[in-house]
Amino acid sequence: MTDELSRNERIKEASDYLRGTLADGLREEITGAIIEDDAQLVKFHGMYLQDDRDLRPERMRKKMEKAFAFMIRVRIPGGVLTPRQWLALDQVARDYGSGSMRLTTRQTIQLHGVIKSNLKATLKAIDAVVLNSIAACGDINRNVMCNVLPEQSRAHAAAIELARSISDHLLPHTPAYREIWLDGERIAGGEEEVVEPIYGKTYLPRKFKVVVAVPPSNDVDVFAHDLGFVAISDKSDNIDGWDITVGGGMGMTHGEPDTYPRAAEAMGFCQTADVLKVAEAIVTVQRDWGDRKNRKHARLKYTIEDRGLDAFRAEVERRSGVGLAPAKPYTFTSTGDRYGWTEGQDTGGHLTLFVQNGRVRDVPGAAQQSALRAIAQMHEGEFRITPNQNLVIANVPTGQQAEIERIARDAGLLAPCSGLRRNSMACVALPTCGLALAESERYLPELLDALDERLAAHGLSADEIVIRMTGCPNGCARPYLAEIGLVGKGPGRYNLYLGAAFDGSRMNKLYAEDLDHAGIIAALDPLFAAYAAGRQKGERFGDYAIRAGHIAASGNGADFHANVRAYKPK
Amino acid sequence: MSSVLANIPKTAPFSEEDVALLNRVVGPASAVQRAWLAGFLAGVESATGQQAQLAAPARPAEPLTIVYASESGNSEKLAGDIAKAARNSGLKPTIIDMADLELRALTSAKRLVVIAATWGEGEPPARAMRAYNELMGEGAPRLDGVEFGVLALGDTAYAEFCAIGKKIDERLAALGGKRVVDRVDCDLDFAEPAARWIGDAMKVLTPPNAGGRVIEVDFGAKPAASPNTDIVEAEIIEHVDLNSSRSDKETIHLALSFEGGAPAYEPGDSLDLYPENDPAYVDELLKLTRLADDDKLRADFIKLRDVTTLSLKTVETYADKTGHQYVKALIADGQAREWIAGRQLIDLIANFPIALDAETLRALTRPLAPRAYSIASSRREVEDEAHLLISAVRYESHGRARKGVASNYVAEQLKRGGRVRVKLKPNKHFALPSLDKDIIMVGPGTGVAPFRAFVQERRATEATGKSWLFFGDRTFTHDFLYQLDWQDALKDGALTRMDVAFSRDTPEKIYIQHKLWNRRADLVEWLDGGAYFYVCGDAKAMAKDVRAALVRAYADVKALSPEAAEQAVVTLEREKRYLQDTY
Repeated sequence: MTDELSRNERIKEASDYLRGTLADGLREEITGAIIEDDAQLVKFHGMYLQDDRDLRPERMRKKMEKAFAFMIRVRIPGGVLTPRQWLALDQVARDYGSGSMRLTTRQTIQLHGVIKSNLKATLKAIDAVVLNSIAACGDINRNVMCNVLPEQSRAHAAAIELARSISDHLLPHTPAYREIWLDGERIAGGEEEVVEPIYGKTYLPRKFKVVVAVPPSNDVDVFAHDLGFVAISDKSDNIDGWDITVGGGMGMTHGEPDTYPRAAEAMGFCQTADVLKVAEAIVTVQRDWGDRKNRKHARLKYTIEDRGLDAFRAEVERRSGVGLAPAKPYTFTSTGDRYGWTEGQDTGGHLTLFVQNGRVRDVPGAAQQSALRAIAQMHEGEFRITPNQNLVIANVPTGQQAEIERIARDAGLLAPCSGLRRNSMACVALPTCGLALAESERYLPELLDALDERLAAHGLSADEIVIRMTGCPNGCARPYLAEIGLVGKGPGRYNLYLGAAFDGSRMNKLYAEDLDHAGIIAALDPLFAAYAAGRQKGERFGDYAIRAGHIAASGNGADFHANVRAYKPK
Repeated sequence: MSSVLANIPKTAPFSEEDVALLNRVVGPASAVQRAWLAGFLAGVESATGQQAQLAAPARPAEPLTIVYASESGNSEKLAGDIAKAARNSGLKPTIIDMADLELRALTSAKRLVVIAATWGEGEPPARAMRAYNELMGEGAPRLDGVEFGVLALGDTAYAEFCAIGKKIDERLAALGGKRVVDRVDCDLDFAEPAARWIGDAMKVLTPPNAGGRVIEVDFGAKPAASPNTDIVEAEIIEHVDLNSSRSDKETIHLALSFEGGAPAYEPGDSLDLYPENDPAYVDELLKLTRLADDDKLRADFIKLRDVTTLSLKTVETYADKTGHQYVKALIADGQAREWIAGRQLIDLIANFPIALDAETLRALTRPLAPRAYSIASSRREVEDEAHLLISAVRYESHGRARKGVASNYVAEQLKRGGRVRVKLKPNKHFALPSLDKDIIMVGPGTGVAPFRAFVQERRATEATGKSWLFFGDRTFTHDFLYQLDWQDALKDGALTRMDVAFSRDTPEKIYIQHKLWNRRADLVEWLDGGAYFYVCGDAKAMAKDVRAALVRAYADVKALSPEAAEQAVVTLEREKRYLQDTY
């Protein structure tokens, strides 16, 4: 490792608070791209410069540059949208994007395929419904997640309020977004002015992810994120305060054992009134202690591994002035969604719909995008994007329930599917993601068809098993917390991970490398058979795999890479 | 043949061999040729300063004014043919491009020949538009006593066949002109009828005593430099669809290589490409007519005959030759013109089937004409190559998928490594100005082709003038033709500026004229600084929209009335700084 600051640090430093030369780059009409340094900065504005990788082979021959377009990720704390906001995003997706929308694993919506010349019009249309994409990506606090809690309306109200206040508190202050995208006036600050009181000029060393959870649901996957607040409630569901979890994170690099996914650990407990102070202190400690030389070692999880949790906690307490109580016990039951209707406590019914891999689109026989548009046009409650890429139509009065259900059912949004498919997630990957090594969203449905057939043969169709796939090891779909994790290694090749806990509290471990489609099925089929025959009552697939000795349990840190016993495909 | 009277006597101051030689030439010479020789020899003497006694005083030849209105160059070429025939007849021809015509000049013309092409749906060629409008307008001068004849060019595939020639013919008569040659309307295969008309016209227009005189010979006249315009065969070394595989369009970049060097083309020139018909179409046509076994007919129909165009004339021929009741009724009811719109020959036969023999079917076709495509390269950059940019024309009408003959021949039949026949078609009206002049190029779609040649040429010649390209198409991502070339040109300075308009990228369609409007202040500044303005591409809508946008730009930037702004653009046209190559 070098002593030099990473290149991104120099870009941030020189960017004049995230402006760079983005405004000039937008005026450059002959290329769909922006310069490399600006491509790093634009992430802080919620966008990635991508290109259609399906088209790469033909572009040079056709005397065209790569098919550049931007992905825009909207900031939606807790995944809660009004129907009007949903309609606006649906409209911009069709006007300026690829047509479809993607519900993400972190409760936001991504629009893909927005070309440079349409960025401003798109962001203005998004701004018109009081949404934006500020800090949806980049080395900064990103979208704050929150359980969707269809059956606990009161707890949801408290959790979403907290999520929004954390989101607001940790927003960057630079006016660059408004200046560049919304034609705002350039606000000249004095030399002495502190533009970013929390972040400073160079923001954080790496991305930073915060979640809010109310047990027993762990749909947000608390342990996968840098910072979590877990509600501790009394017997009558009043929230006493919050357990604090720190140091979770998914990303790693193939073949580099110094990098690993890590489950967050409990750091203590605080009152609701102290949450913002604690959150800010955690952010500033990471700002100052985090590794700015090596981006692969820059997440909070490595800071805590390197410095130790005790030292980290002490510094947070010092900076926040808040003494943290010991963490309190709670129980999570699952990371999945509850499909179909649930009654709220006082706000009407909630309908959870299954949106495969979060892809909102119309395909022959399943006009789901149109159906959701129709629902948004009549609905007056909320749309809640779940952390599992699904959608809750929340707060539906009794009188509208039958009609909304009919529309959803006709579009296949309530179609029965296996317990495996219900608990599946996939990242976007090819063709737009620049990091993807293999297919994910486009391939998982086909793999599930094959696995469903094997599960049916073993009588496991109804059993809930968590399966997640990503096209690269960075882990956007949180594959290392899935009972069956599949991580892209190369075109058509995946590493298979097993043994995670169903409630999201334990990481999995590498079971087999470089499997192709047939190899994945061949590896899993005998395990399904053994599970069906040998499981104890209520025993989950991940737990069974460890008890039966197919895989070792993963502890934290570097232990993720330890005790790997390579499975040899026959 | 030989005339005894004209024999050079042996007493002449020449050797015997020279006398024999002279007799071979002078003996059979016509009266006009002899008069010319007399003038020539007299001129040689005066040119060398030696005095000589003339047999007769040299008289100026009788003048003939030849006006042509040309779009594709055919009228212009015929004007040259007429001039040559006129000289042979003892006339002194003056050729005037209608683009440059001042109507006043016609009032003093004794003899006037007009060759007028009709373009698109009954319109004059773009460059001739101004003079044509003046001629048709109220301010046109009287032409009393001017002897005239009109040769009209057109295409029977279009409804308003030879409309411009007809109108000019009527107008010249209405202004007092004396029609001494009846108009002839020529179709695409104009060569033969035009030659006949020229012969007839010369008989009438030549003064009775043109011979027996001494003709003044202009020693300063230079023969027009004419590059090789023979049909040549080229090898296809690149055949790429420049649109992305996601595009609705297919635009072929065709790189041709010529053994022994490319024809001597200049930026702005075109190549005539000799296409073949789609064999599937021909087979369907022959099957409908039960002539599928006629191999000779099939081969001719694929390679030599236009078997798709359906004109009023074709329908009439069909009715005459077959006596088909319904077709006769269609013509009698005046419905035929409407019926042929959007239809092809195959529709006529499919809709009104009747037994046909090969000769009748052949009579319904005309020769397959070449299709001109602007050259998209400069020889200074690509040397022995020539590049073409060809968009495959495909559409549906009357329930049948239609294909443009030439463009689909290129897109579907031609392959890399194959060969194609082409012929250089110069276009001196769309040439680059001197190196220090600024140029503005407006070329949406395949209209950008000549500008690729311009930019390559300007790079190779290290031009100092600035250059500004406006390009447009459907989508930025999938239809940006030659994107990497333009990026390189902007980097190396061969191109100074570029603006783009993509109509399908946004809910409201943005076209190239909108971009011109957005940039109006700079545009007018460039034009005031002497820039040349080039427009290439679609003639139906784009060229008019672009011109209108420029008029509005002048009006806005310089606070002019609409009339004054129009006049500003007319001035550009007169100065030949507003140049069009539209199709």
